[in-house]
Amino acid sequence: MKKSFVFSGSGGQGIMSAGMMLAHAAIDMEKHATFLPEYGPEQRGGSAKCTVIISDDEIISPLTKKCDNLVAMNEQAYNKFQDSIKEGGILVVNSSRITKPIEREDVKVISVPVDDIALEVGNIKVANIVIIGALIGATDIVSKDIFVASLEEKFKTKKPEILEMNMKALEKGIAFGEQVK
Amino acid sequence: MEKRFMKGCEAIAEAAVRGGCRFFAGYPITPQNEIPEYLSWRLPEVGGAFVQGESEVASINMVYGAAATGTRAMTSSSGPGISLKAEGISYLASAQLPAVIVNISRGGPGLGSIQPAQSDYLQATKALGHGGFRTMVFAPATLQEAVDLTYNAWEYAERDRNPVLILMDGCLGAIMEEVVLPEPKELNYQNTEDWDLSKRNGRTDSHMITPILPEAALEMLNKFKGMSYKMWEMTDVKVEEYMVEDAEYVVVAYGIAARVAKEAINTLREEGHKVGMVRPITLYPFPKASLDNLDYTRVKGIIDIELTIPAQMRDDIELQVKGRCPVHEYGRSGGMLLDDEGVYNAIAEIVKGGE
Amino acid sequence: MPEYKRPKSLMPMATGYCPGCMHALATRLVADVIDELNQKDNAINVVSVGCSALNLYSWAGDVIGSAHGRAPAVATGIKRSMPDRLVFTYQGDGDLAAIGLAEIMSAANRGENFTVVFANNQTYGMTGGQMAPTTLIGQRTTTTRFGRDAATTGYPLQMCELISVLKAPVFVARYALNSPKGVMDAKKGIKKAFQMQLEGKGFTFVELLTNCPTNWGMSPLDTLEYMNTNTIPYFKPGIYKDEEADA
Repeated sequence: MKKSFVFSGSGGQGIMSAGMMLAHAAIDMEKHATFLPEYGPEQRGGSAKCTVIISDDEIISPLTKKCDNLVAMNEQAYNKFQDSIKEGGILVVNSSRITKPIEREDVKVISVPVDDIALEVGNIKVANIVIIGALIGATDIVSKDIFVASLEEKFKTKKPEILEMNMKALEKGIAFGEQVK
Repeated sequence: MEKRFMKGCEAIAEAAVRGGCRFFAGYPITPQNEIPEYLSWRLPEVGGAFVQGESEVASINMVYGAAATGTRAMTSSSGPGISLKAEGISYLASAQLPAVIVNISRGGPGLGSIQPAQSDYLQATKALGHGGFRTMVFAPATLQEAVDLTYNAWEYAERDRNPVLILMDGCLGAIMEEVVLPEPKELNYQNTEDWDLSKRNGRTDSHMITPILPEAALEMLNKFKGMSYKMWEMTDVKVEEYMVEDAEYVVVAYGIAARVAKEAINTLREEGHKVGMVRPITLYPFPKASLDNLDYTRVKGIIDIELTIPAQMRDDIELQVKGRCPVHEYGRSGGMLLDDEGVYNAIAEIVKGGE
Repeated sequence: MPEYKRPKSLMPMATGYCPGCMHALATRLVADVIDELNQKDNAINVVSVGCSALNLYSWAGDVIGSAHGRAPAVATGIKRSMPDRLVFTYQGDGDLAAIGLAEIMSAANRGENFTVVFANNQTYGMTGGQMAPTTLIGQRTTTTRFGRDAATTGYPLQMCELISVLKAPVFVARYALNSPKGVMDAKKGIKKAFQMQLEGKGFTFVELLTNCPTNWGMSPLDTLEYMNTNTIPYFKPGIYKDEEADA
């Protein structure tokens, strides 16, 4: 099995870290993964996009025109990339920022108020965890247990509240993702 | 042996350290900044030196100085910076100094774009500087290949007393994938002690290193260099031949373009089309035999696929094809990327049109 | 009584410099000091482009030729790789103050622990006497046939003055080689610079005012007086910075 994920939005929205975390989780599951970032020339606030490919076999090409899963974190990214999802693929939209009706009818749509959830559980910085949660809930590509283990490892030296906040963000994301499974 | 999920630039930097690199000088330029950033802390860990040069020009000359002491030295840059380093690279070739130069290439010409492109093939293989010298040019397609080629690059550089270029596009520089890192090499400096300025290993004799020679000596040097270029063609060509045995159409591509092409070839094979690929791993020496020895009673077309427009490898391909079949080209340029669909369509159109 | 002999650090051959050229004298001073410090086998001479390049062939110890203006960058690479060696560049004024301005200022500013010996003869000797960044106002050269005009070419660059305002350099001095006293002082200055380098103190810079009888178009003897009346008033000899003295 081979699946591609595109994360898109603007700089500072956790696009790159979300993609990287997903790729790392796949590696932890002994799968193959590639992570390809694309930046605009701006250091801050420009457009940000990354492509993650996860596969049971060695990945030949890391470049793909159409993706299986798209995460759009703002309207600009949505407009630019919504056409690139394969038929039957999954579209995760950040409904905190994308309010217009979704045109594609041939893909599964998960509307997640990513910013609102992140703020509600404590910090906008966990927006990327909410997204990963939605993808874990909607697909079988990464196991929840493996990802939780990686979070526990990452925050083991930090205050327990930080892990707790991340776990809450993850659970909320998963709940949204499971709606389309 | 150690497995790590690494970014291309960082994988090259770590492989360099493990391959014995103990000096790096460089100047910031996108998309290769992770190489100097990584080495700025990593080299001091192993007793090496890192200098952020005041310019590309200064950086390559710092490498020239370090290489003269037998220290394994490296610099990295991207197209515009490599142009500035051209002077120093020519001096390295002239003074017979080994060094490794990395070009993480981007869109050109000019300042071009910071996005990935394979826009420096001609510069890399034909004229990295003035004076008509050559360097070996390694063009990895995966990070594992980048690691392995970088790790061993100084063996070639020291054997030939000549710089080696690693040419990799910004896409592979930025991508993360899994690599197996080799064990760090033990350094003994025996390859360079006969001529370097180090007086290491108990040597006491003084040496002169010079980028200028009297006419007759310079001619001798150039004849010697010419012989080593011929030797490279006999012993050092690296190439991947993929499904060419029965191929009616042969794609020629290197680096990231070859990876996208391979995926398309697999799809075309599944559809019953006989397509194969010749992937040069050394762009210089160019894998001439892989193209010259194809059975042109069977091969109907060659398709040169590059992440640049117009195709730059085409001249080298045509010199081997010798008009025995048409040569086609497809590419993207300026920082626009190749993708599976575009490459598939380009190959399919030629293949299906000819069947 | 001390015997006046050829320094061990020089090959037993002619230097190749024109008769009366002070490059030969400057080279000899450096070689004498290295002999006196017993550093012949430890020193690395980084030669640049221009007449200074002739030192490539006359130097008996480790020597390396470098690209035009890049000697301080080359020396940086050498010294960072071999910190225990005595490393110095030998550069002319076109090399150091024009095409190599970025390299000299940056190496000085980093406080690289090597020594720069700067021979300033106010012209490009090797290429036939063109205007140098140090050419005096009114001085005739092959590219300033009616004399250097500040209105279009600016003013002669004073390198000791420039480098001494940087924080990192530890010794910056200028000497004129047109008098016995100047020669003796220059030798002391070179020695002090090398000693400071060997003690790991940092960047040292010694400028030597020299002549070019061939391209100035005068006899060697006349150049001595010309330097007194023209060169020295603008390029004032002296110690511009000495961290040891200040301490």
